[in-house]
Amino acid sequence: MHELILMWRNTRMVVLTAMCASFYAAVLIPFLVVPIIPGVTHFRPANALPVVCSFLFGPAAVWGAAIGNLIGDFFTGLGPGDLFGFIGNFLYALAPYRLWRACASSDPVPRTPTAWLLFVVVVVTGAGLCAATVGFGLQVLGFVPFAVLANVVIVNNSVTALVLAPLLLAVLYPRVRRVRLLHGDIMGPHPAPSTVRLVLGVGLAIAGALVAFVGGNCAAVGVLPPSFVAATPDLTLAVIVLPGLALAAAGLALL
Amino acid sequence: MTAFTGCAGGASLVVRDFTCRYTDPPAPALAGVSLAVAPGELVAIMGASGAGKSTLLRCINALVPALVPAVCDGEIRLGAQPLLGVEVGDLGGRVAMVFQDFEAQLFSTNVRLEVAFGPGQLGVEPGEIAARVERTLALVNLADCGDRDPSTLSGGQKQRLAIASILAMEPEVLLLDEPATDLDPIGRREFYAALESVRGKRLVLLAVEHEVDPVLRADRLVLMSAGRIVAAGPTAALVRDVDLFTACGVRPHDLAVLARRLGCDLPLDVDGAVAALRARGVPESARTAPAAAPAGRTAAAAPPILEVRGLARVYEDGTHALADVSFTLGSGEFVALIGQNGSGKTTLAKHLNGLLRAEVGEVRLDGADLGALPLERVAREIGYVFQNPDHQLFAATVADEVAFGPRNFGLAGEALAARVDETLAAVGLAAVRDEDPCLLRKGERQRLAVATVLAMAPRVLILDEPTTGLDYPQVRAMLELLARLHAAGTTIVVITHSPWVVVEYAERALLMRRGRLVFDGALGELLDDEPLLRSAAFEAPPAVRVARALGIAARTVDELVRALESED
Amino acid sequence: MALSLYFDRSSWLHRRHPIAKVLVLVLLFFAAFLLADPLPLACLFVLVFAVTASARALPVLHRMRWLMIPVFFFTVIIWTLFYPATAGAPVDRWAALRYGLAMALRLETFLATGFVFLATTTIEEFAFALARLGVPYRAGFVLTLAFRLVPVFFEAALTVRDAQRCRGLDFASGSVATRIARYGPVIVPVFIGGLRRADQMAFALEVRGFSAGRPRTSLPRPGIDAGDLWLLATGVAIAVATLVVP
Repeated sequence: MHELILMWRNTRMVVLTAMCASFYAAVLIPFLVVPIIPGVTHFRPANALPVVCSFLFGPAAVWGAAIGNLIGDFFTGLGPGDLFGFIGNFLYALAPYRLWRACASSDPVPRTPTAWLLFVVVVVTGAGLCAATVGFGLQVLGFVPFAVLANVVIVNNSVTALVLAPLLLAVLYPRVRRVRLLHGDIMGPHPAPSTVRLVLGVGLAIAGALVAFVGGNCAAVGVLPPSFVAATPDLTLAVIVLPGLALAAAGLALL
Repeated sequence: MTAFTGCAGGASLVVRDFTCRYTDPPAPALAGVSLAVAPGELVAIMGASGAGKSTLLRCINALVPALVPAVCDGEIRLGAQPLLGVEVGDLGGRVAMVFQDFEAQLFSTNVRLEVAFGPGQLGVEPGEIAARVERTLALVNLADCGDRDPSTLSGGQKQRLAIASILAMEPEVLLLDEPATDLDPIGRREFYAALESVRGKRLVLLAVEHEVDPVLRADRLVLMSAGRIVAAGPTAALVRDVDLFTACGVRPHDLAVLARRLGCDLPLDVDGAVAALRARGVPESARTAPAAAPAGRTAAAAPPILEVRGLARVYEDGTHALADVSFTLGSGEFVALIGQNGSGKTTLAKHLNGLLRAEVGEVRLDGADLGALPLERVAREIGYVFQNPDHQLFAATVADEVAFGPRNFGLAGEALAARVDETLAAVGLAAVRDEDPCLLRKGERQRLAVATVLAMAPRVLILDEPTTGLDYPQVRAMLELLARLHAAGTTIVVITHSPWVVVEYAERALLMRRGRLVFDGALGELLDDEPLLRSAAFEAPPAVRVARALGIAARTVDELVRALESED
Repeated sequence: MALSLYFDRSSWLHRRHPIAKVLVLVLLFFAAFLLADPLPLACLFVLVFAVTASARALPVLHRMRWLMIPVFFFTVIIWTLFYPATAGAPVDRWAALRYGLAMALRLETFLATGFVFLATTTIEEFAFALARLGVPYRAGFVLTLAFRLVPVFFEAALTVRDAQRCRGLDFASGSVATRIARYGPVIVPVFIGGLRRADQMAFALEVRGFSAGRPRTSLPRPGIDAGDLWLLATGVAIAVATLVVP
């Protein structure tokens, strides 16, 4: 997590954060084409961008995705739900580069079946964390039920990211490396954590995402064993989703 | 933090035997550069792109090597204070810079806050910040705009705001890196007027410029090439060295070329030159024999491709983007579409290729209503090259980039490959076909942008300011390309602010003012109408103005020389 | 195209201190969150509506009607369907509808409150308030800078879209995946354009003293006055009132 704080001292990273944020927001707005849930979420091709930026700019993309989503929300209504959008997009951009860095030494441009598999896992993990966060928050606030929103978000984010991100990365990654603007170039190489830490981190992140998303869905449609059901539906959801998110965040912090 | 102390104002900038080499990727940038600028002096640096001009400014500002990995050697100091090795942040705003890209140096959504940003970072006391904001805004003639959002300002206003924001930090050195390149003629004029009012402030002023005209006011001129200073000296003397300019890849001043060709000494202002030439004697035959309009230089003789009738467009806010525009574009013409920014040139051009549909009036392509045709069909006939090449390049290689358009239109296999080869050969980029488009130089990217459109084999090619930001050799290469395409039968419409481009290449001119087409005819006629030109802020190149004042219909220095040297 | 919701007018609400406005914004969100019945929520919504009108910011709600109206109906319907029923017991349709109505009114109140805040507060004031409330300066700065860059990228995205349409790129046909993939030729140039700018922007920031490391100052700002305190007091009163409403 250290680099998420340290990056603020670097003017280039600060600029890239603003770039990621405004870029995300700017592509979100003109292509707000099909509202999936009016006022809450649209089919957004721009949602591939936090993933692309994550691989390129690391921590700058993490803050950039969170702030960019916030700015996008400025144009469609500022509300308490934006806090969850902020955290959700933060995790959505945090998971891909952290997990990829932990699991692979190659460029994040999937070409082999193994690389594709890993790519799908890291993107879907990020999308799942985002979906669980936003779904939980907006259900508790009374906007949209978890069972609807979380599934819309994970599908929208995964599909756009899996279709667009590999295309974009194939073109952008080498170019960004050439102009020395990859986060590793700007902030220096990341010291490799120990193997134990890597395994633990990856395991926690994926397990946490599974618990939060799958568990959340189970809670939302009421198929949990009675021992898991708390006093109210919102509380039941909180008991499942929040620990899952915390586990995943802890796992990502280890990487 | 190291205190950066020095006497307030009045220190000279000294660069001595300075060498700089980028390390990542390795590339030599500057070799043995020496330069001294006194406070109150304006020194202009000129040279082709890649000559090291920007690097020199960035080294003086400590951006290199602090933010760009480089090895530097030699000395740069301001008064007694060495600048090499100092952190930019520790300069405390004493050395400041205005950049070419105005969008990249404005950070606020309010003009006053923008100006207050720098002093605020330096911890200047709030009351003093307020005073500086008002003072500097007045200085650059933006006092009325204090409450506006910078994004609503014109380019010229934005660049003056950039100067004000810098001046509010009270720097001792002001570096200007091609500050007027992206501005239209009016913006340039406003910008340089603002700069004049700064000159009295005992600042060290160092400006990089592409055009020689604005540079004439500089006290001294420095010509750079391949990382070295090739020549430096008082502007009035150096600017006459036409060969040196050409060797450095800078377009020399028209009147300097004229003087050199005539083998006499001429003042470099139009009035002075006219007086001197009159004194020298203008042969009667020059006046009577207008430079014959070359064949095909008359308008609308050719079969029409595009017909525009009564075209009008009103924006949501009520401004008339276009009002009652009518003209006919014939096959094989070379037309310049000119006018100030905001006069409706681009809006008109977008109607010609179907990006905008006619709301009032009509546009006809080969007699058919263009609005009823699908965009794909129109795009194949009427190619449109956008102003900024970077707005269309995305592919991994140059060849892929060129293939994109024709492939979308159904070309495939060998026909596609042949088309790509042919197009790349036409624009002179065959050698870089497998390179990444982003790695090309600006001039090459611009030619590639033309190629991407050319590959669809359009009959008409519309280009929106294709020479902006290019150095002289690149501009020439672009224009020669257009001339070749024109000779091969393509109809060319070029939107440009560059007077000499219009004068040397176009046959016919369309002049827009506030949405109206105020002139449509042969270029020669337009040049004769001085009041009309002035009202559209279009200033003909000096050679043309001299020629007109002498009653000679010449459009280039060559033609003028020929007329002047003709025997009675 | 106006991307900002800010309405440059001079109303009593425009003149309030941004910290007061941010705090009241949070208090109103809190109040709307606590209320669960349609009637008090409707009262709160009417109050926010009245505030918007008095701040001469009603046009912002009008501009956002495309959002606010469908959201209302959608929310009523979906929460009536997803009404958290007790397992086994028969579903009370009337209670479900009341619940749906309450959720929709709560959502509308959130939206309207957010809009009136954005319509009367500049991004700089917002960032300033955030900084005073403990958000680090550079984070607030990124928010302002990103906000300012949105129209720049937005314009670029539209231009690139036009440029690629001229080269035959068609956004309207094909499967979902192909249509998504067609955004590549739009996104790449905008992205590369941004990168070309990033370095220069970092340079320009450094030149303006961004890393000077001195305590920052700003233009003189009016302090918190009696009007701000009244506004805050009203906000607190509303929040407290919602705690006691049955």
